[in-house]
Amino acid sequence: MDSDKTDDAALEALFSAGAANPAKPADEFLARLAADADAALPEPPGPARKPSGGSLLGGLSGLFAASGLSGAAALGVWIGFVMPDLVTDVSLLGEETAGISAFLPDADLSVFSE
Amino acid sequence: MDRTPASDAPDAALLVAYANGDSAAGRDLLSRLAPRLFGYAARVLGDHAEAEDVVQETMLRLWRIAPEWRQGEAQVSTWVYRVAVNLCTDRLRRRRTRGQVDIDAVAEPASDMASAVEAMTEKDRADALQAALDTLPERQRQAVVLRHIEGLANAEIAEIMDIGIEAVESLTARGKRALKAVLSGRKEELGYENG
Repeated sequence: MDSDKTDDAALEALFSAGAANPAKPADEFLARLAADADAALPEPPGPARKPSGGSLLGGLSGLFAASGLSGAAALGVWIGFVMPDLVTDVSLLGEETAGISAFLPDADLSVFSE
Repeated sequence: MDRTPASDAPDAALLVAYANGDSAAGRDLLSRLAPRLFGYAARVLGDHAEAEDVVQETMLRLWRIAPEWRQGEAQVSTWVYRVAVNLCTDRLRRRRTRGQVDIDAVAEPASDMASAVEAMTEKDRADALQAALDTLPERQRQAVVLRHIEGLANAEIAEIMDIGIEAVESLTARGKRALKAVLSGRKEELGYENG
């Protein structure tokens, strides 16, 4: 048992020597590791970038979405913007109230009259 | 960029700074981890060139994982040790299948281990330890190096090696017995069961 304890102490001396004399990485190797780290460096987070592509319609739908308009309404505004003559022609088909009553036949439209 | 001095910043903070594009933080972390990993890998593998490969691959994996790193889930040092242990295990297993581990390659031990060690210089002791370590089964070798040379706690070793604390204690105890047997010329005592 004493011999075993002596061996334990000797082994501890070896461990201490091993811990005190670690293998050291070469400077060239550390430089290579640093180059690896730089090469793998993630892009720093920056401000949100504008989309590089996308159609004009896509851009407009985004604009309308931001203003709270539905897709159908957005399409109507778009048609009115690019083809104003067509909209004018439609409005000349009849009185506005007649146009509404066609869609709401049971509604009392007199409340709208002045 | 304002940054806590490297000596004070936790590893995880440096890793997060690196993930945000701070190359100096990466170098600080590298200077902290790479020498430790290299010392460990060189002890376990007994080969500096192979140790370099292991450390380089380990650090590359750390840089790749950096953007997804979640602070508090694991210690950076534990994570890199785990990667390095696995890489070393792969290499030791390949080496074993090629039959490179040779117990007779150890310098002939003295019959009185304590007296022999006492007479050794510091460098001779480190060399003798390396030669004896090279004869241990891979898991024992890794546990002994992490515990008795790297000075890690059993709980951290358990996490690194993905085993229980009792298994760590068993590995290190068997490893120490085997080292003493090798160093005192009682090679016949070695069972060489792996694990």
